[in-house]
Amino acid sequence: MIENARIRSRIVASVLLICIIAWTIILVNPAPLMFHAHHLVTYSGASRSSFPIILLLRQLAYLVLGWVIMLSAMMSPTLIESIQHVAERSFKRQRGRAIGLFIIGYVTVWIVTNSAILLIMLSISLLELPSHHLIIGVSIIAFLWQCSPIKQRSLNRAHNHRELAAFGLAADLDTLYFGITHGSWCISSCWALMLFPMVLPQGHVAAMATMTFLIVSERLEAPKTPTWHLRFPGKLIQISIAQTQILFSSQLLKQE
Amino acid sequence: MAYTRNNAWDNNGTFQNTSLLWYAKGVGIMQTRALDDLNSWWFFAAIHGEYLNETNYPGWGSIPGPPQVPTTPLPSKSIQDSYWNQCQHQSWYFPPWHRGYLLALEAQIRAAVVSLGGPKNWALPYWNYLGPNNQYKMPPAFAQQTLPDGSPNPLFVEARYGPQNDGDIFIPIPPVSEQCQDNTLYTGSNPNTPRPGYGGPNTGFSHSGRLSGNLESNPHNQVHVDVGGQAPQGNVWGLMSDPGLAALDPIFYLHHANIDRMWAEWNAKGNSNPTASNWLNGPAAVGQREFIMPMPDCNAWVYTPAQVNSLSQLNYEYADLSSPAPTQPVAFDATTRRLTRLGLPPTVVAQGDRMDNENSLELVGTHDGTISLKSSGARVQLRLAPEVNQQVISSFAATSEGTLPDQVYLELENVRGAQDAYKLTVNVNGQTAGTVALFGLRRASMEDGQHGGQGLTFVLDVTEIIDNLHMNNALDVDSLDVRITPNNSISEDANISVGRISIYRQSYQ
Ligand SMILES: [Cu+2]
Repeated sequence: MIENARIRSRIVASVLLICIIAWTIILVNPAPLMFHAHHLVTYSGASRSSFPIILLLRQLAYLVLGWVIMLSAMMSPTLIESIQHVAERSFKRQRGRAIGLFIIGYVTVWIVTNSAILLIMLSISLLELPSHHLIIGVSIIAFLWQCSPIKQRSLNRAHNHRELAAFGLAADLDTLYFGITHGSWCISSCWALMLFPMVLPQGHVAAMATMTFLIVSERLEAPKTPTWHLRFPGKLIQISIAQTQILFSSQLLKQE
Repeated sequence: MAYTRNNAWDNNGTFQNTSLLWYAKGVGIMQTRALDDLNSWWFFAAIHGEYLNETNYPGWGSIPGPPQVPTTPLPSKSIQDSYWNQCQHQSWYFPPWHRGYLLALEAQIRAAVVSLGGPKNWALPYWNYLGPNNQYKMPPAFAQQTLPDGSPNPLFVEARYGPQNDGDIFIPIPPVSEQCQDNTLYTGSNPNTPRPGYGGPNTGFSHSGRLSGNLESNPHNQVHVDVGGQAPQGNVWGLMSDPGLAALDPIFYLHHANIDRMWAEWNAKGNSNPTASNWLNGPAAVGQREFIMPMPDCNAWVYTPAQVNSLSQLNYEYADLSSPAPTQPVAFDATTRRLTRLGLPPTVVAQGDRMDNENSLELVGTHDGTISLKSSGARVQLRLAPEVNQQVISSFAATSEGTLPDQVYLELENVRGAQDAYKLTVNVNGQTAGTVALFGLRRASMEDGQHGGQGLTFVLDVTEIIDNLHMNNALDVDSLDVRITPNNSISEDANISVGRISIYRQSYQ
């Protein structure tokens, strides 16, 4: 619901800017993201030998940077509604702080989860399976998750904009907690879609773009009863077609 | 052929009124059809909203009859997905969706009436509960057990309990009012139009509405809850109290015909509907479901708000569309009233300055923490942020420079619960801020429902209360005293809670 148009347009502009910057980085120099893509498979060899600690730390920083860029590219458009909720429910002078806490909570759960996934992937890679096994395995898991009722339930929960306290410590804790819970439902709904491009030997960027389209599209759907079903990025396509038609017909009207 | 919708209270609202008699017979025919028949009474009710999958009340299998509501045979999943649970509430699509819904139901009943040898120009009557004399009462034909010929009356419904839960059906006026008719904006706000506007908020791509428009809040939501009410014992509520049951009660369509008449009257006064293409083209244009209705010829009618925008495009009219051209520009009313209240000459505010700044909505204070509502209601101190409250206070000084002081709203946010049949009256520092009806609460509170479990939000314009506090030098305070009083005792299982109570300011500067 658009309550305060000015806040809304500022949020939309900032989010789109961040999203565009992230995509520019990815297109120009996808190196940070490449790390846990195919490096992951070769990483197992290195990790067993003595690994200089400095190099490891640098790799870790690189890793987190890569995750933040990936999150900005793929997830930021889905945060518009929630950020707006946080901004409108806060006192004007605390809006920036509230949005900041929400994002900290949100990004933190992602980093924690990504680390866990990375560890799992590393241990799997120690098994020295052929890389196509990994791709097939992740694809199957991603597909099953995508069709599952848990996926729908997570999407539904991500629509729940809960009440937030406005005063004092309670306000800070509420927005932080909202960031964490919202982030958790986001992860639960999107983790498989985000993992999939990372295990591909090539074509990451195209796969990431496709997944982003799917993720944003799913978020625009109203909540539904959780059941098993196939999910397509129908919503965004529908919107694009309908909006283009409107634009086109209004142009025609002007010419008449 | 132009059809005329007449007042249900003609001929004292009895079966002497042939519109009502034929309506009853038409409803009877639609009720003989099966649930999976697109032209059945049950299918139409499910278009608005249904609870076929629930076992206990309000599951359709446990509704006390009459009517005997079937729960089988179900239509196919794809038919259900395109037709059922379509109703548009808490959205600017509320008026146009219901207009099309009424047209389809009316066409169905007319076809049934004609098949019985009735008048070819039959049209749906409306119940103008805000009309003179006894019209605040339900037309008596709806309370008869039998038709004049002795057969059961299809308009009679068991689960209809009234505002005092005793089966006496009437609309309490006040709090029900036609104040919304003085609004001058469909979406948005100005001195005559409190947020979110007459027709409802722009619900955008996400369709995440939580706020009802002013026509929808009062009278629409209130009338639903007043007619439906709650059974004296047990956890059964009236059909009209809940969107997933409401259209099973034949009074539903007369109530909505009146809401539709009010919308037409509002337009006839010179107020315009949105011109934004996203409204005109309907929710399908923002990727939501299209508006679709089964017509008697077995065709589906897909429509957009643009197609039902004004009565002149359509084939019906209202017998009473009392819309005399306003004797004075409506825009003067609210502002003049306000200036008078503040003891200022009406000339002080230039007309051009009366548009509010829709971008300026700002939080002034809250009561943080969830309040669980029992029959005794609740009383809380709503804490104000001193620096923002100072801005409200100083906005009164700005009046001399030609702008109005702030508009102030009270919001009940994230209201949740399992039962809809309640109304809450809100008081601020001993003055009545307004009454809200919880119609739609149950569905908005379901975690896997359309609203994702965030519940409903209610907004009340408390500008007059703030003006009075200012005039009594009682506005420079740390907190406001807010009371919430339910209209009836709240059942144990209703679990009604208010997530937060807030005060917002909106400036004209
Ligand atoms: Cu209704």
